Amino acid sequence: MNNFALGRYLPLDSVVHKMDPRSKIMIMLFMMISVFVPAGVYGYAIIALFVILALVLSKLSIGYALKAMKPMLFMMGFLFVINLLVIKTGTPLIKIGWFSIYSDAIYQTLYVVVRLLFMVVITTILTATTKPLDLTLGIEKLLKPFEKIGIPAHIIAMMISIALRFIPTLIEETQRIMNAQASRGVDLENGTLKEKISALLSLIVPLFVSAFERADQLANAMEARGYNPNKTRTRYKVLKMQAIDYVAMLISVLVMAACFGIWLYV
Amino acid sequence: MSIEIHQLEHTYNAGTSFAHAALKGIDLTIPEGKVTAIIGQTGSGKSTLVQHLNGLLIPTAGSLEVCGFHIQPLLKIKDVKKLRKEVGLVFQFPEYQLFEETIEKDIAFGPKNFGVSEQEANALVKKILPLVGLDESFLVRSPFELSGGQKRRVAIAGILILDPKVLVLDEPAAGLDPQGAKEMMSLFMRLNREEGKTVLLVSHDMEHVMKYCDHVIVLDHGKVLHESDVATFFEHPEWMVNIGINPPGIIRLKLELRKKGFTIPDEILDADSLLECIKGQVKNHE
Repeated sequence: MNNFALGRYLPLDSVVHKMDPRSKIMIMLFMMISVFVPAGVYGYAIIALFVILALVLSKLSIGYALKAMKPMLFMMGFLFVINLLVIKTGTPLIKIGWFSIYSDAIYQTLYVVVRLLFMVVITTILTATTKPLDLTLGIEKLLKPFEKIGIPAHIIAMMISIALRFIPTLIEETQRIMNAQASRGVDLENGTLKEKISALLSLIVPLFVSAFERADQLANAMEARGYNPNKTRTRYKVLKMQAIDYVAMLISVLVMAACFGIWLYV
Repeated sequence: MSIEIHQLEHTYNAGTSFAHAALKGIDLTIPEGKVTAIIGQTGSGKSTLVQHLNGLLIPTAGSLEVCGFHIQPLLKIKDVKKLRKEVGLVFQFPEYQLFEETIEKDIAFGPKNFGVSEQEANALVKKILPLVGLDESFLVRSPFELSGGQKRRVAIAGILILDPKVLVLDEPAAGLDPQGAKEMMSLFMRLNREEGKTVLLVSHDMEHVMKYCDHVIVLDHGKVLHESDVATFFEHPEWMVNIGINPPGIIRLKLELRKKGFTIPDEILDADSLLECIKGQVKNHE
């Protein structure tokens, strides 16, 4: 269960790891926008270059980034089958009896797969090179200007960091409760629908109860230490942009501009 | 029937970069009808070991013989489901497994999973409640409105109702007040004496081990470090010190007295005989 690559921080020593989380988040945003610009093969070639450069600089292996795709393989396969059945435009490529596969179905699927691949790899680079707490600090700082229009940047960042902090705890808790209920004869894999629902309930109810209890304890502990989200707080860690941050952001903006350029003028 | 463990190995996430060997070749015989303590530091493999006893985990190498079940690598969960009725595993802080609206339903949950009818299960609940010190007025109450100690009794009743031949208890008294802990332990001792259940106790509390157990197994880094009867075990306080466990007060007192020049035989393990022993020596000194 704790075997997935998606969203996990990998402590390595690389230039990308040392970059400011704010610039990394901005670059991710620019790249996401670029991925969604319909700039055809050339656009994707430029993005691919950028992504490979980022992978190499962050010392992550391409294999690791692709491992993050694993959970999405099923979805992609599903999408492929649906597209094959539904899309009936373009030239028919293969004919099996009454059923023929059209070129558009292949193109459409490839298109979506490439987009998904880029999205997953880009987010994986961000989360693998940035500690969760730095990430939330970056989000908080980036949202700061929006506080004037009523967006509670600090509260949002605090909520995200608490949520991230408790993911492993909840996974552990789930495993524990599953074991406890399995010891009482619950079988989560086999059985009729009714049995499965009752088995699932025996897992979900205790999980919620303990999550609420934890939330209560955490809130009390925070209040006991005088936590007030509206007060100005100093930071142990002060973020500082360096030359590499500006260069990297500039390049990503150029990539985005190139994609728009290809879309609009070529 | 005793529990036989041969060369048991368990590696988590085998074959991945997160592989971690928790048990590295365990050979044990757990005597039937006795109370056996399993002790060791955090991460020594205690939990991994006990989860093999009712088939929650399947060994990656080696095998076990439990209640007529032969467990070896690559078995399917389906094959060992019946074993869970024979070996009752009570996890640490079992109160977190409660989920039904009423205590009656929650305790009856286990037997129903093993195909007992609702009526029979409810009759069993009425029999088991007094055993854990609760009366019938609790039947219709919600488990979530109870105190911590009462919740734990309900959770333990949920395992006892399966009438397992072997009871495996992971720190059953942790977090209870001394009175509650004593009542809990004496319940298990009664089940051992009166119904002949084999009891395995995972504990850090050496007072409990000394007072209630017959046999001690010490695990360290996934291996068996010592295995002996309780008297022999407490004759070697250095075994405890080596694995970072504080010996019980009476043993520490004995060691201190020896340092002061008293001669105290190894087999003295309770306050009264210790008192007798030093009384004589104090008199002789005068």
